[in-house]
Amino acid sequence: METDNILQLQNVTKKFGDLLAVDNIHFEIKSSEIHAILGENGAGKSTLMNLIYGLYQPTSGNISISGIPTRLKSPKDAIEHGIGMVHQHFMLIENLTVAENIALTVSQFSSREGSTSDTTDEIMPRLSKFRFKKDEAIQITSELSHQFNLDVDPNALISTLSVGLKQRVEILKALAVDARILILDEPTAVLSPQEVTSFFSILRLLQADNRSIIFISHKMKEVLEVSDRITVLRRGKKVYQGKTGELSARELAKEMIGEEISEIERKATEATTDLVLHISGLKVKGNRNEIAVSDITFSTYRGEIVGIAGVDGNGQRELAESIMGLRTSVAGQIEILGRKPIGTKHIRQCGVGYIPEDRRSTGVISTFSIAENLMLNTSQIDEISKWGIIDQRLKYEHSSSLIAAYDIRPPIADAAASTLSGGNQQKIVLAREISPQPELLIAVNPTRGLDISAAQYVHLNLLAQRTLKKSVLLISTELDEVLQLSDRLYVMSKGKLIEATNYRDDIETLGLFMTGESDTVA
Amino acid sequence: MPNLLTYYQDIKSVCLNYIEKYPRFTQWVLSPFLILSGAFITNGIVMLLCGYNPIEAYLSAAVITLGSFGGISETLVKGTPYLMTGLSVAIAFRCGIWNIGAEGQFLMGALAASYVGTKLVYVLPNTSWIAIPLCFIFAIFAGSIWGIVPAILKITRGVNEVISTIMLNYIAIYFVSLMIDGGPLQETSKTGPQSDPIVLWARLPDLIGTYRIHSGIIIAVILAAVITYVLFRTTYGYQLRAVGEGAAAAQAAGISIPQNTIRVFCISGALAALGGAIELMALAPRLTHNFSPGYGYTAIAVALLARLHPLLTILSALFFGALAEGSFAMESEVGISRQVTWMMQAIILLFAIGFGSISLFQKQAKK
Repeated sequence: METDNILQLQNVTKKFGDLLAVDNIHFEIKSSEIHAILGENGAGKSTLMNLIYGLYQPTSGNISISGIPTRLKSPKDAIEHGIGMVHQHFMLIENLTVAENIALTVSQFSSREGSTSDTTDEIMPRLSKFRFKKDEAIQITSELSHQFNLDVDPNALISTLSVGLKQRVEILKALAVDARILILDEPTAVLSPQEVTSFFSILRLLQADNRSIIFISHKMKEVLEVSDRITVLRRGKKVYQGKTGELSARELAKEMIGEEISEIERKATEATTDLVLHISGLKVKGNRNEIAVSDITFSTYRGEIVGIAGVDGNGQRELAESIMGLRTSVAGQIEILGRKPIGTKHIRQCGVGYIPEDRRSTGVISTFSIAENLMLNTSQIDEISKWGIIDQRLKYEHSSSLIAAYDIRPPIADAAASTLSGGNQQKIVLAREISPQPELLIAVNPTRGLDISAAQYVHLNLLAQRTLKKSVLLISTELDEVLQLSDRLYVMSKGKLIEATNYRDDIETLGLFMTGESDTVA
Repeated sequence: MPNLLTYYQDIKSVCLNYIEKYPRFTQWVLSPFLILSGAFITNGIVMLLCGYNPIEAYLSAAVITLGSFGGISETLVKGTPYLMTGLSVAIAFRCGIWNIGAEGQFLMGALAASYVGTKLVYVLPNTSWIAIPLCFIFAIFAGSIWGIVPAILKITRGVNEVISTIMLNYIAIYFVSLMIDGGPLQETSKTGPQSDPIVLWARLPDLIGTYRIHSGIIIAVILAAVITYVLFRTTYGYQLRAVGEGAAAAQAAGISIPQNTIRVFCISGALAALGGAIELMALAPRLTHNFSPGYGYTAIAVALLARLHPLLTILSALFFGALAEGSFAMESEVGISRQVTWMMQAIILLFAIGFGSISLFQKQAKK
């Protein structure tokens, strides 16, 4: 057995009922390598990582760490064996400081066998499980952040940190317990282009410190840029493993989805001057009573897709919700086709469709059947009912025509939405919102969590709306998506909207807009 | 030892697999069965510890409740208030409204009916065709008021309905006391804290001879059927369920949450109040202090055992009726105190809530 394999999986299989989530996978991580794992949603990436992190136990097969077969029974076990994980959704306590969060993690682990690092051997005894030593915790945090060049204020409250900084704290947490193998789950999804660059330099630093990194992503460009080796998973199976650079992005994509996909083309159309949505001086407060949208003015016209790019949490959600009447604005006006409707029901009656950001909670009702989900909009249910009584025949005619048109699978009108995959749930939302051909369609992160072919399907539908001379407002955190689809482009940052159509080819400047570093043209 | 966890996980995954495969069977047959057998066994253990023979007790209860027409009649009679309050709770919970106020709404319904039946009838023509509907209308009105208050508090001030409805229960209990103990509804002889019996022509007719089985039962069953139809076949019911199952999605689709909250609170309050009116007009002709032995609270167990389905609520209410009737049998035949039955109701509630987590498990497994 090669000794430089710090982690090795042999014939690892994980079954959930009849579902083979991970199918007989061989896989190894060498010491100090950055290993990218590519795969569509449901390819088994998360299951595989949860197996390594001890959240799941394999149905069969072995996991060896530094050549020794090991059974990881819990995340605690995994951490004690030097495996750390940075989740996509941070596991930090918001109302504690950075140092307190780190101390909390460290104090769970008194010592570790076979630890190779001097730092950790020093750190662990310094923090007690029973008594919180504040000064010591601050000291440890600043030492760690100094050592790994991860600059962060130990006394800052987590809730005051930006997403990028929170991620640093997560990494510090893993380093504080001396993780030799770091699993990073979609780490760049929440970062702006600039933050990604500095994030990559952190990764290289960790690599230089003889640590291994497992980098999970679906963004081809980043994977090619940062990784040493790439493993591609498809439907629970390993379909490719090799050195980075052996395959092109296109070939990797083909491995991921098993077939070649053609790029969709956005045909140029003439811009019209028919105003659909006009927003002026809009101010909206967020959930914490902060100003989430500040003084926004813009318009959309017939036959165009207006894209709003930006990093998550910069007011996009609040903007969409206030257009839909789900959130009251503090100031400003929203005009739809010259009218000023009040309340979601009336806004929808003006011809507005809405693909919400959170499919699971706002898009579909998971306990309702496909048919029931397809008639959720008040105008649709009125169409299939008479005197307040739902016409069962019309209900099934309505749903079966939409199920066929949008290829919703399984094509069973009475199947609960919860039994459908994310892509098919999104098709329910698309069918419901697009089939009435709304004058204005508001789509927020419409492809989040979808695999490539499902995402492409969504894109085609948005473009079809444009061809029909309808207006589409696309709000998305995927810069590529916005660039690919939109006729006009804005960047949203800290509640402000920046006109960015002229910078489509200048990712650098767009990145600066997104971080709010620059809101005027240099 | 280290394998114990693995065994547990294996068993869990086998069970989950089974649940996934037969969701309907699990939901409608297996889980009520497990809830009831769990409750019976737990309660049996308590009886054993108290020195009674649980099998003997259960058998005598079964014989009394199901062994004769009189027993069946009593089961139906005792089940009716559970059915009415159970329906009230079920429809509210379906809409995601945790109305714990059925007790107060039940009492307010009885109070309204007793006002009509002891006072108002005298200024009206003496006919059942006027008195009975009027009792119902007043009861519905009183129950709706008792429902609208928490609805308005919730919508305008964000007051949690659990707290406001419990508080309104106390207000109703003491308001009834006030009315019948020195208040305007106290009996004309002013001897005890109770109302006059309601007039004969405001009473609901009995069905069969000397048995207590009465026409209110038929009203309750018809209402259960109507509510089933409303919930599953009308736009109102559909939107009400949508708000309960996915408020955010319903709201984004243009369904008004305040509107549905008020609507469901009115219906829920009216159902419980009708239950109180029926109880008064069919059985106890007088409104007393202990008019309700906590029907409105037991109703939560009734509704949860029926998985909030109005038709199953009929069965569940009958079961609780049988339990109430059986407790007399256990007391007289085996000498087990009636408190055991009240305990049993609470144990069923705990098991019903506990088994609710099966569906929770299912949702987790999906993720």
